Amino acid sequence: MDVQHLETAEQQDTDWLSPTAALTQFLPLETEVSTDNLIAHTETVFGFRVGSLGFLVNSDTYCEVIEQLKVNPLPNVEPWFGGLLNLRGNLVPVIDLQLLLGETSTIDRKTRQLFAIGQGDKAMAFWIDGLPEVQRAFSQPLKQLPPLPAILQHCVSNSYLHEGQIWFNVQFDELFKTLGNRGSGL
Amino acid sequence: MNQLANPQHGLSSHSDYIAIIENLANQANEAGYPTLYDVSLIIVGALHELSQKGDTVALNSDLPSLLNRWSTLIDAYQQNAPSAVDGIMTVLCHPDLNLPLDEDDFSVFATLLTEELAANNISQHPETTTLNEVVPLQAVDAPSSELANEAETEIADEDEKPLSAMAQELVELLDTETSLLNYRFLAIPFDDSLLEKEEHLELASEELERLINASKMVGFDGLSQVCTHVNTNISLFLQATDSFNIEKRDLLIDWISHVKDYLLAFSKKGAGKQLLAQMANPNWAQPITAEAIALLHPQMQVTGFSEDTAAEEVHEKLATDDDVSLALPDDVNKELLDLLLQELPSYTQQFSEAIQRLHTGGSSKDIDVAQRIAHTIKGSGNTVGIKGVAVLTHQIEDILMACAKAHKLPGAALINTLINASDCLEAMCESLLGFGEPPADARAVLQEVLDWAYRIAKNGIEEANSQDVPVKLEAAAKSSTDDSAAQPQKNTKTEQAESTQVAMVRVPTDQIENLFRLSSESIILNGQIYERQRRLKNQLQAMESQFTLLQQLGAGLDQLIDLKDLSGRSLVTASKEFDALEMDQYNELHTASRRMVEAAVDAREISIDMKKELEYMNEVLEYQQRLVINTQEAVMQTRFVPVGSIILRLQRGLRQTCRLTGKQGELTFSGERLLIDGDTLSALVEPLMHLLRNAIDHGLEGQEERIALGKSPVGQITIDFDREGNSILVRCRDDGRGLDFEAIRQTAKKRGDFQAGDVISEEELKHLILRPNFSTRNQLTQTSGRGVGMDVVNFQVLSLGGSLSLQSVRGQGLTVELKIPLPLSRSHALIAYAASYKVAISSKGLTQVIYSGIGELTTISNEQVLIVGEDIYPVVKLEDLLHLVDRRKERRSHSAVLLVQNEHKITAVLVNTIIDSREVVIKNLGYYMKKIHGFVGATILGDGSVTPVLDIPELLRAPIRANVTTQTTVAERIDSGSNLPKILIVDDSLSQRRALQQILTDAGFRVQTVRDGIEAVEWLANSKPDIVITDLEMPRMNGIELASHIRSHVNIRDLPIIMVTSRSTQKHRQLAEEAGIDFYLIKPVQDDDLLSKIQTLLDRKSTAAAV
Repeated sequence: MDVQHLETAEQQDTDWLSPTAALTQFLPLETEVSTDNLIAHTETVFGFRVGSLGFLVNSDTYCEVIEQLKVNPLPNVEPWFGGLLNLRGNLVPVIDLQLLLGETSTIDRKTRQLFAIGQGDKAMAFWIDGLPEVQRAFSQPLKQLPPLPAILQHCVSNSYLHEGQIWFNVQFDELFKTLGNRGSGL
Repeated sequence: MNQLANPQHGLSSHSDYIAIIENLANQANEAGYPTLYDVSLIIVGALHELSQKGDTVALNSDLPSLLNRWSTLIDAYQQNAPSAVDGIMTVLCHPDLNLPLDEDDFSVFATLLTEELAANNISQHPETTTLNEVVPLQAVDAPSSELANEAETEIADEDEKPLSAMAQELVELLDTETSLLNYRFLAIPFDDSLLEKEEHLELASEELERLINASKMVGFDGLSQVCTHVNTNISLFLQATDSFNIEKRDLLIDWISHVKDYLLAFSKKGAGKQLLAQMANPNWAQPITAEAIALLHPQMQVTGFSEDTAAEEVHEKLATDDDVSLALPDDVNKELLDLLLQELPSYTQQFSEAIQRLHTGGSSKDIDVAQRIAHTIKGSGNTVGIKGVAVLTHQIEDILMACAKAHKLPGAALINTLINASDCLEAMCESLLGFGEPPADARAVLQEVLDWAYRIAKNGIEEANSQDVPVKLEAAAKSSTDDSAAQPQKNTKTEQAESTQVAMVRVPTDQIENLFRLSSESIILNGQIYERQRRLKNQLQAMESQFTLLQQLGAGLDQLIDLKDLSGRSLVTASKEFDALEMDQYNELHTASRRMVEAAVDAREISIDMKKELEYMNEVLEYQQRLVINTQEAVMQTRFVPVGSIILRLQRGLRQTCRLTGKQGELTFSGERLLIDGDTLSALVEPLMHLLRNAIDHGLEGQEERIALGKSPVGQITIDFDREGNSILVRCRDDGRGLDFEAIRQTAKKRGDFQAGDVISEEELKHLILRPNFSTRNQLTQTSGRGVGMDVVNFQVLSLGGSLSLQSVRGQGLTVELKIPLPLSRSHALIAYAASYKVAISSKGLTQVIYSGIGELTTISNEQVLIVGEDIYPVVKLEDLLHLVDRRKERRSHSAVLLVQNEHKITAVLVNTIIDSREVVIKNLGYYMKKIHGFVGATILGDGSVTPVLDIPELLRAPIRANVTTQTTVAERIDSGSNLPKILIVDDSLSQRRALQQILTDAGFRVQTVRDGIEAVEWLANSKPDIVITDLEMPRMNGIELASHIRSHVNIRDLPIIMVTSRSTQKHRQLAEEAGIDFYLIKPVQDDDLLSKIQTLLDRKSTAAAV
């Protein structure tokens, strides 16, 4: 792959390729490509469920399951804003996605886990059902996104169907921004 | 010596050159210049070799002209002009000479020559110089007009004095400038880009302008006029860039070499004749006339530089305000200024230290140090154009130079003046760094320095030094006592200077953030220890009372045992010799009870000691708390920047909008020295930029209209910065037409904001213009009409947690006031319960805490009020503010009442229980949750739990915000932000991305940046901008490939693309065109050009959409 890439670069110096040829010949270096949209190429991803929805997190995204930490509730905020966690000196907002997305399926609150995505002050924690699972390579994304709750529409890049469960590839940065805007509006 | 060459005929053969150079070499050897002698002989040898081979020096080579100047060079060399070394080395290195030497050899010669020059500089006695009468060389191919020949003869006859070091230096300055100009001329390209040619000519013209100023400053009036004339020629060339060919450029290069020659012999009779003759060349767009030559010629010879006259002229001088002005020139070079500001604090400090050492004894070494620093500062000051610094250091340098020359240390009086001068320099430096006012006594100090310089020049250093000592000693004594009084002040000054030096260290922001976070953590941890210690103290208190009880019980037991003992005595077999009253009889019980009592007493004493220890620990903890708080404040300080740092950007925004709208505006500021948090300041730029654009586009009238209204033709916009409590107040005022309430009313009606019959006040109309997409303009302009209005400013201000208010006077202008809270890192807070939530109430707005029982709670017209003395306050419950259900019984009174100031009103807030009062560290709620209404942030308490820190005034301002309205407001706000056209910038250079981002954000666009084509493709998969601006050459995927990708994808096929690149050839252009690029711009791109191209594309897009 490297050789081809170099050849392309050499040709650029001497004789320009036609745009289409350039596009077809071009091969990015694997290590340099962000995996956000190329989830199909990655080996493993983490999946977690909230109600009927499944969400995927890239394995290179920092995330952790949090145990034995108390969620400190806040007054005068939206019900889905569960409160704040003191995670190693950083305040991490806790979001109840089920309440936020209006998911109705009943789940056992005792089996819920706190799952933090991101690091430092850029982290957010979600209540998830059970523990996250390791998912193996999905083949092809769905051609069209299934109907989504409004808040997720800008944050989901593609989706996959796997054993009857729809998994959404979420851009968490976008989701956090949307949640931040919603939360801050109060 | 004249017989060696006949100027009338010039030189044509090698033998002529050899003879002359040999002769000069011999003279040089006699005069004590062995290296020059060697170098000359090497050249002679090479010329010999050339002549033996039968080669003649090619006519197109520049060697003959260089050799022609040989005598002038040698002359200059012997007058210690360092530039002559370069000239000699140019001849020595000339490829035509074919010398078998390499780079290293050449550099050795250059070093030897320089060293020789330096050595002679010290030992040289002007009287012994015999080499001034040098023989000029004149070759056939050099300009051989009569004028030139005449000049040469006259120069040869001239018996001139060597230059003073100062004059030498000034001339060197001019020489450097000419070299720069030479490079500029050489850099003018002659490929197909007219634009580049124009740019280079403009740059050369600017450079020439500098030479004009410099020569004026130095006193070369003739030269300055000559340069002005050439600049006129350049302007004429600029008007017809097409016809500016290589010959014309060579003309310029030839001219500058003549200027260089002139600078080597400016003081001789007939100086500049050749220069003037060259300017009569018909190739010039405007050749110089014979009359002008006649007029200019007398001015070309500059003789005012002989040591005495120069001294007279310079030193008999009165200090003016202009001489101490710290004003930056309009065209200040930002990079040079930054460098100066970085260096200046350490230089001024070193200078002060050297002077201080001289004050307490010192040596000639200190004079050298001080002189060197003064020289450096003077140079930097002159380069940047800060006159105050340059003039003062120039005079100081002169004085110190005189001291060094006479090997004399300055006397007490002179030292005093120098100390004053160094203080003044420090104050100037601080002022330039934005830490204070320019020194008020600068003029007086400079005058003092000037007087000294004059006295030294007139009477010599020794006399000047001794003359005033008795008088000045008194003054010095007096001032030294003054000094001791002023010592602390001066110390703080030095401290400040030191701290500014520390601030000069570049540290990544992340590191500062981390330090800040760590210091906050320390405070929290300290709070936790405090809490633990308090509990421990309470437990100890309880233990102590237990010990007291134990002691009492022990005593009781003791008594009981005694009683029992007495009563049961009969049962015990007593000793026969003693009666029971005669001798106490003890058994084990006695011993045990006694020991217990003693142990209880001991335990109590230990607990008392422990309490003392705890109290001591408390003190240490308190001290540590103060320390960590100070640490945090110190870290905070590093984030503070003066408001003035955004002024240049705002000024640029103003100029740009003025150009686009064709209006004239002037921007003034006040309070720019205010120091605020850097993040808040950066966040302020965008709303301020919007306000400026609005003020010009909507506010200011056109020039004619303004004149008709009797206003000044240039619109005035002022921005005032002020601090109010923990907020920054920004007032943007224009003297334009003010708000047109009628137009707002009409637009609002059209939009259906209210019904025809409704009565709407001006206050309500003001609020309407803060609504999204509210514009009274029908026409689209580049500066407004695309949603860039008050709504965006309002949105930005609200998202910063601030507020916006408008005051408009019809025909007189609009004032927009922004109030932005500054980030709070710590606050004193009351810890209280609101329903089941533990909350911290920040002291923001808190005026008084009244405990239950004071004042009377009563109901007046269904509103609960609190009457305290003669004051009546409206009452609200904390639970109501937070929309919590108070489960307590209605009757139960609240334990405390907080009087909170909100805007101009004081409200009584009822609080259930206040459990604690303490200093809390306020943390934000993470990167994404920027601000929650009613919360300043959250804090971590001693037990590790997190509680929100309440902002009661904010809650009072908008306590009841139904969820529905909130949601729509949020939607509206997001909408209003996303209304701006979105631009994707694709460039691999960080600086280019930043620069473009700044230009476009300032112009009111939303900007997304990515590093290359791949990132752009990824981003485009989920978002669609309005325009893409891309670089051509980038790693991984270049601009052409990106364009092809965009054009081949259905969703984004129509995206307008602008390419910004440094490639200017037709080939690249064509390639870009084929790839579907809409506009091809060449770096450095002009802001206006880019913005107008963007506007064209946006217009095209909206027209297409309409169709």
